[in-house]
This record gives sequence, structure tokens and C-alpha cells, in this order.
Amino acid sequence: MVKEIERAGLPVVHICTVVPISLTVGANRIVPAIAIPHPLGNPALSYEDEKLLRRNIVLKALKALQTDVHEQTVFDK
Amino acid sequence: MRLELGNIFIKDVQFGDTTKVLNGVLYISKQELLDAVSGDTRLTSIEIDIAKPGESTRIMPVKDVIEPRVKVEGSGGIFPGFISKVDVVGSGKTNVLKGAAVVTAGKIVGFQEGIIDMSGTGADYTPFSKTNNIVLVCTPTDHLQQHEHEEAVRMVGLKAATFIAEAGRNITPDEVKVYETLPLLDGVKKYPNLPKVAYVYMLQTQGLLHDTYVYGVDAKKIVPTLIYPTEVMDGAILSGNCVSACDKNPTYNHLNNPIIEDLYERHGVDYNFVGVIITNENVYLADKERSSNWTAKLAEFLGLDAVIISEEGFGNPDTDLMMNCKKITAKGIKTVLVTDEYAGRDGASQSLADADKSADAVVTGGNANEVIQLPAMEKVIGYLTPADTIAGGFDGSLRPDGSIMAELQVVTGATSEIGFNKLSATQY
Repeated sequence: MVKEIERAGLPVVHICTVVPISLTVGANRIVPAIAIPHPLGNPALSYEDEKLLRRNIVLKALKALQTDVHEQTVFDK
Repeated sequence: MRLELGNIFIKDVQFGDTTKVLNGVLYISKQELLDAVSGDTRLTSIEIDIAKPGESTRIMPVKDVIEPRVKVEGSGGIFPGFISKVDVVGSGKTNVLKGAAVVTAGKIVGFQEGIIDMSGTGADYTPFSKTNNIVLVCTPTDHLQQHEHEEAVRMVGLKAATFIAEAGRNITPDEVKVYETLPLLDGVKKYPNLPKVAYVYMLQTQGLLHDTYVYGVDAKKIVPTLIYPTEVMDGAILSGNCVSACDKNPTYNHLNNPIIEDLYERHGVDYNFVGVIITNENVYLADKERSSNWTAKLAEFLGLDAVIISEEGFGNPDTDLMMNCKKITAKGIKTVLVTDEYAGRDGASQSLADADKSADAVVTGGNANEVIQLPAMEKVIGYLTPADTIAGGFDGSLRPDGSIMAELQVVTGATSEIGFNKLSATQY
């Protein structure tokens, strides 16, 4: 899906737990997620901390979307 | 560490007044067995049935399959950490009721439990159509949480196998096989000119009913470590895995791991089989990185020349498999991988979710997506209805006449990634 949408000319950020698979399938902008059963959250955290965690992932993805890339890039900072 | 496995060949299983083995026939007292496994208030009933090879019988949904083994000599007891204390196992003598198996079934726990057919097409695809199966159908209390349900049924299976195996304690085995692994440095000294080979044994630990235990420890909480191969034969590793019917390792398969047995077969002749590295398949990327770093580090530390790596399950564990392969290869150590495939119903899609150039020697247990037809059986132990919802099934899988059309992944043990079945493929 990542590749097909990019082929249509839209930039895509792949938020994904298993970054190596994302690299293998050819995503260009990759934001690491938390864990396979809960990619965008963490049930071990309090509600407030989890909300902050989720917001940060989305913000990182939005920033990645606006970043020019020339090779497969993992936004893990 | 030296273990003598005494196989007592069981050619038939029947109900009887007492539980005993006589002339190759295993007699089970229903009452004695029920007494041995009952008592968990999370289960409202346990029914016992027998399924023999060739019968028109379907068992589903199947959770685990367990071989009855009893420790006759040596430290510890079978299934340390669950049934026995956590003493080190794997030495002395163990008797095996070879040809008998305990199967746990009943109301579905998860969504990927399996089917065992005792005859017809399905029987060709599962190794457990060839065993005489003592089936325990467990019914949970209403609203029991899934992980509690899994645990309760797992313990019933382990208790049943342990109880039944006692019948073989004082029987003279029909066949004795001896397996021995020396302490590392002695073993290396003994065959200085043979390549040193180990087995990297990946255990399914994704959580949420995908769990494996080592001496009672949930293997997702371990870092990779070493184990003597014979410890595995005494139940040091067991399944708490209610998913991936076709390519998980039921406890039976751990006890009989063909990679371990076959590595022993040519040990001291073609190579020096020095031991087993166990590792896990966790759901956090950092865990995958750490564990694969650790297997590579241990492989280097042991001075290995080559390893066989087996996967359990599929999907994201494909990445653990590739990470192990890549990092161990980078140490200058040869790797062979054993896996299975999800290559689509026509077999044309990419087989694994991940790939790497260093994975250039791979053995497959078959394509789990292939569609098969399972004829109706006269007798059903358990329930047919989950056929549409277990992984590999779809709307309409279960037909009105009781036959089933589904992907191969519904069959217990069909595409074993430790080679505990007959399916494979070759490239030409």
C-alpha cells in the first residue's frame, strides 16, 4: 500500500514496529512504532503518558512527511 | 549430559479398569485419569475420548499434543517448572510411551487452533493421525479470560501426560536410544577435526496466547541462552501456544525435535554437535535486535563453524529469523534456516515477510496457504463450528455435510518448521 500510494505521487510515512520489514518492502519514510500488538500505544503507561506518546508518534510522522528524502530513511531520533 | 530414552511401543490404546501397559497396549482408567487432571475450578467439565489411526474421527479445535514420558533415573522430573520442581533434567533414563499422545481440545481459546483428522486427506497432513490419541475435551466456566483458559487447559494436558506415562515406569523398553553431549571444552577436544555445529532454536514468544516456557519461565523474558539437547527431551521446553496450528511446535514436537535427533545422528562422524542455543521471538523491535545480537554473540563465543536455525510461527518472526541469519553469517559462521511459507493460495507470492541475501540455504516445511479439502468424518471430538473462524478458515469453510475447505494452516503440525512432518518443496 505504501508503495502504490507513493507511485500515485503522494508522499507516505510508514509507521511500523518491525522496521526491517518496512525496509525490505521498500518504504521510504519510516517511523518506528511501539510493539506489534499495540503499534501506536502502550497499555503499560498511564492514560496521560500514553496520550503524550501517541501524540509524539503522530508529530514525528507529520514531520517526516515534510522532510525531503533521497534514500530509505528511518526517523528514529 | 547423557540420557537414555527407552521407547515402549504402544500399538493400541483402550479404556480399562486400571491404567497400565500390557503387551504394547495402553489401558486407561477414565476415572483414574479424571482424578489426576481434575480440580481446576476454571473448568466445568473434562471429557475423555480415544482417537486411533484410520478411524473416521476429527479432533478440533486442538490446543496442544503431548507425549507421555516418565523419568526413571536421574535428577528431576518431566516438565520441570510446571509438573516437577525446577531440577535440571536431561540425564539418566526416561521412558516414553511411543505411539501414544495426549491431545487437549474443547471450546476455542484463541483463533488459530488446529484440526487433527485420523483418516482421509487431513490425516496425510498431520503427524498426529499416526498416534493413538487420548483426547481431553475441556469446557471452561463462562466468561473465563482467554489466558486463564489457555493455562487451565495446558495444565490438564501436562498432568494427563504425566499420569499416563507413570504406566511405563516399570516396563522394559522395546528400544533404547542414547544421547550424550559433553561439556563444551571436552566436546570440542574429542573431535578436533570436525566442524562445530549448534542448533539455534527459536521459540514462539509473541505473547497473547503465543507463548513458550523454559523450566517454567515465560521465554519472552529470557535472553538467549544455552541448553543441553537432552534437557529438551525431558520437557524443559513446552508449549503454551494456542495459535499457528500448522507451524507452532506442540509440546510433543519439542520433546521429539527432529533437528536435535538428526544432529545427534551424524555427531562425531560428519560434524561435532556441541549444543543448543535457545532464543525468542518478541514483539518489540529492541527485543528482536537484542536477542539476535545475543545468538550471534553466543555462536561466536562457542567457536562454531555452522548453525541450523529453526523458526516457530510466521509473520514478524520472519524478521527474527533473518536477523539471526544475517548476524550469525556476519561472524563467518554458516547458516541453514528451517521455516515454512505463506506464499498465497497459488504459491506465487513472497514466502516470508522478510528476506536477506545471507539466507542462501533454506529448508521449507511447505506452503500454509494452500487450499485443501477435508472430507466429513463420522465422529467429531470437540466442535466443528470454529472452522470458519480459525486462521486458514473463511466464511463457508464448514459445509453443511461436515466437510471443510480451508487453507492448510488449519491442520495441526502440517508445516512444522522443525521438520516434524513430511511436507517440503525443492527448487529446480
